[in-house]
Formats: sequence, C-alpha cells, structure tokens
Amino acid sequence: MKRIMIDQAKCDGCKSCSIACMQAHRTDEGTVYDLDLTDIHNESRNHIIEMEDGTYRPIFCRHCDQPECVMSCMSGALTKDPATGHVLYDGTKCGSCFMCVMNCPYGVLKADTATRTKVIKCDFCIDAGGEPSCVKACPKNAVFVEEVVL
Amino acid sequence: MRHVIIGAGAAGITAAKTIRACEPGAEIVMISADTHVHSRCMLHKYLSHERDERRLSFVPEDFFEEQKITWISGKRASHVWTKTHNVQLEDDTVISYDKLLIATGADSFIPPVGDFRKARNVFGLRHLEDAKQIDEVAETAERVLIVGSGLVGLDAAYALLERGKDVTVVEMADRILPIQLDETAGKTYQKLFEEAGCKFLLGRKASNTVMDQTGSIRKVILDDGREISCDLVIVAAGVRSAISCVESGEIAADRFIQVDEYMRTNCPDVYAAGDVAGLSGIWPNAMKQGQTAAYNMCGRKVQYLDRYAMKNTMNFYGVTTLSLGKGAAEEGDEVVICEDSRSYKKAVIRDGKLDSILLQGNMDYSGVYQYLIKNQVDISEKKDRIFALSFGDFYGIAPDGQYDYQI
Repeated sequence: MKRIMIDQAKCDGCKSCSIACMQAHRTDEGTVYDLDLTDIHNESRNHIIEMEDGTYRPIFCRHCDQPECVMSCMSGALTKDPATGHVLYDGTKCGSCFMCVMNCPYGVLKADTATRTKVIKCDFCIDAGGEPSCVKACPKNAVFVEEVVL
Repeated sequence: MRHVIIGAGAAGITAAKTIRACEPGAEIVMISADTHVHSRCMLHKYLSHERDERRLSFVPEDFFEEQKITWISGKRASHVWTKTHNVQLEDDTVISYDKLLIATGADSFIPPVGDFRKARNVFGLRHLEDAKQIDEVAETAERVLIVGSGLVGLDAAYALLERGKDVTVVEMADRILPIQLDETAGKTYQKLFEEAGCKFLLGRKASNTVMDQTGSIRKVILDDGREISCDLVIVAAGVRSAISCVESGEIAADRFIQVDEYMRTNCPDVYAAGDVAGLSGIWPNAMKQGQTAAYNMCGRKVQYLDRYAMKNTMNFYGVTTLSLGKGAAEEGDEVVICEDSRSYKKAVIRDGKLDSILLQGNMDYSGVYQYLIKNQVDISEKKDRIFALSFGDFYGIAPDGQYDYQI
C-alpha cells in the first residue's frame, strides 16, 4: 500500500501541509489565495504539534495495518480497503458517536467543529487523483509517499 | 471446515469477516434472531425516524453474498450439543459445526416492578424488534416514561422528544448518566434535554404500576408515592447476557459464558465473544473479541489482550463527551479540572498515572488518553499539561511508517 511517510527531523512547522489539506477539502470553489482560514468548515485532516524544544511533530493518519478506528466503528462508515490499504470514511453512514476519536491511539481524529456530526479524517485525496495534497505542498520533503508492504 | 456463528452483532459479524480473510475456502454459517443486521448504537435514530432499518446496518448490502456466508436469519438457537457438534434451532433444524462461535449478545433487563414484565406497553431498547414495537405504540402514545438515564435511556428520550412526545425520565441516582459523568458534565446534558422538553425525576425509582384492562400500564408509582401517568414505558435498566442456548448444557456459564484468553469456552471447538462473554459491553471490545475468537477458530493462537472497557463517548445535541475510567477520586489522587463556557475537562491522576479523564464539549484528538490509561503510562512529569498531551509527547515512527509510542 501507499503510505504518507514522515521525516520528522525535516519538518520546520510551516504548516503548508495543513493549508493544502484545508484547500483540498474546502466545500466551496476557489484557489488557495481565497481560502478562508477562519472558516470552521475548512478543516485540515493533518496537524503539526510544536514542541517546547522548538521541534515539530507532524500528526498524519497512518492508514494503520490494524486500524483501531475501524475496529470501533458501529455504523460501518470506517473501512479498510483491502485493495489499496487505505482507511476510508463514508460520512453518509456515520452515526456520529465518535468512538473512533476515542480509539485512535495517536489522536489523529476529531469531530468536525461546525456540526459535530462528521469525523475529520484523511482520505488520501482519492477524489483528487490519489496524490495527497499535503505531500505536494511540503517544501522540505518531510512528508512523502512510499509503497509499503501491507 | 464449517464455522458456525450464532449472532449477527458486532462480535459475530467481525468474526465472520476475519474467518473469511483467513480461510477463503471455509464454509461459514451465521444464525441470528435478527432479520436485519443492525447497529444497536443507532436504534434511537430509527425511533426518531432519521434512519430506516436498512440504514441501521453496519455492513454493505451484499455482505453475505460477497463474503459467501450462509445466513439463517429470524431464528434462535435453542441448544448446543457439544458432544455431537450440533446446534439445534428453535424450529428443531440441526446444524453441525466444526468450530462454533456463540455471539448472541444480550437482552434488556426488565426489573420485576409492578406489571412491567406483563404489560403490553413496556419495552427495552436493545434490538430492532424492540424499536419497531416502540415505534408502533408511539404512533398513538403521548406520555412516555423512561426508567433509567444511562446512554440507552437518554437515546430513547432523545428519539421520542424528536417525535414531539411528552417524555419523563426516572433515575435512581442523583444525576443523569451516573456511570459515565460527574454532576457538572451530567448537568450540561440535563439542561439540553430539558430545553428539548424532557422532565427528569432524579433520586427516585419506580416501585409499582397501575395496569388497565387492556394490559397497558397507565400509571407508574414512584418510591415517594408520586404517580406518573404514561402511555408508553421504556425500561433502560441494563442488560442480561443471552445465554439461553447454553442453559442445561455442558458449556460453562453463570451470568455469562465463561471464556479463556483465546475466547474458548470449556468445550472443545466452542468459542464465545461479545456481550454474552461478559468481559465488556462496549462495541470496539466486542469487535476485537470476535476477531480474536475467529483467529483462534482458524488455528492461529491469538490472545485477547486489549481488555480496557471503562470507556465511552456520547453525543447529544451537538455536545460530545469522552469518558474514560471510573472518574471517582480516591485519597491521594490529584484531580485536575479545567472549565470554560464551551467545555469541561476533568482528570484523575493516581500515582503519576492517568486513572480517569472526562472531556466534554471538545474531544478533538483525544485518542491518546485511552492509550495512556490502558498502558498505565507514567505522566508525572507532564501532568501540569494533562489536557494538552498529544502523541507528539510520545512520538516515534516505525520503519514501515506507522506510529510507535516512545515511552
């Protein structure tokens, strides 16, 4: 499967990945230049944590081999695609219980801020051709796609 | 090889999927009283008319065909003959097995208060069948009495308030959701429910009933003598494991079917998982138990290790809550509380380790806390920023790119 690999030492916390993710998942049309960063509907699926020592820790969905989120989903909304290995989310099935948020050991998931009915979850930019926007936007090559054995 | 699974809930379905992945050629037979696969956690959405029965399912529509599973639905297993490796159904059909998984779940417990167990208008809310019966009575019922303010009771209250009913909830404890929440967090939901028209009678219990000639309860009498008129009663007072198919048999069971760490019962080739095994009533745990049982049924020795069960989430009226642990502080514990207009956070720290955490209003990125409690990670150095902890504090990446806790 393809996984977004992380070279944490290269991350300088610029958040280009987060902006690219917001742009990729915005509900209206437009370019990154008119993306409203304060609109709570434009939420990033990844986030960067700034540590006290000045380093940065990128938190990106791993599309885990044994996804704990899938193993908590009571509606069938979260599934692991056996062909691609990606963990997919179908918002139309979601029961908004957020047990997946509780169960992701890495704290990647959150409820959507606007309605608290959907899970904010990386979709590997499948609708945009499957090349993750965050990876394309990273100026340091701190995130990159690699084929790993599933 | 024929695998037989009794029950089509979280444990049974997960087991079936796991067996199919391990043994593409094996025969799988599922037996269930349910005629529709459905998520019990979403029954209130059926009752509120947000979803029909098809949309309560947690598997794809073609699940049984696609997974090549023979599904015998609408039938209960009445007996397991372990010596001959047979399951007998209520219509006396006999199905033989090589490996058997009992994942029959649980049924609502209706306490013997007055005529609760006899009346036509008293229901638990556990199965789609319960929801359908409630739905039918709710067509004409106006006043609804709900006994119990746990998650099931409040789910029922939510649904019937959405239908415009006059809803009263009776709760023995002095606050709502007493297992998951403390008083402050409970009050937040109580207020939201009251704004939606719900009435709460706390610190009270039902002690008797008045039934009319048609067999419907018209009044419930509380322990203080107060009489509550009602057209429909929903009892949300807990569940009992559905063990009838092993009663008077060789499979060891008391209130639950007893299993070892491989989800094996005392009888060869018979396994149990989910609510019937009594280890946990939580959906994710049922899935894992079903998966573990399935691996062992397929000859892979896998232990059930992820046992932490004091966990839950809830979401009413757009307010989300995560509750991990018992939340009760003991002498010497450190209790940290952080509150603002939109959220309430409370942590109980014992011996430098997180014992319980409650996050109401905002539970974003909170998955790390279950890991910290489950693995009893020492956080004494980090406890001053307990609510700001993230995986960043334990950051590690394995060669295959997956995250790996560094402790």
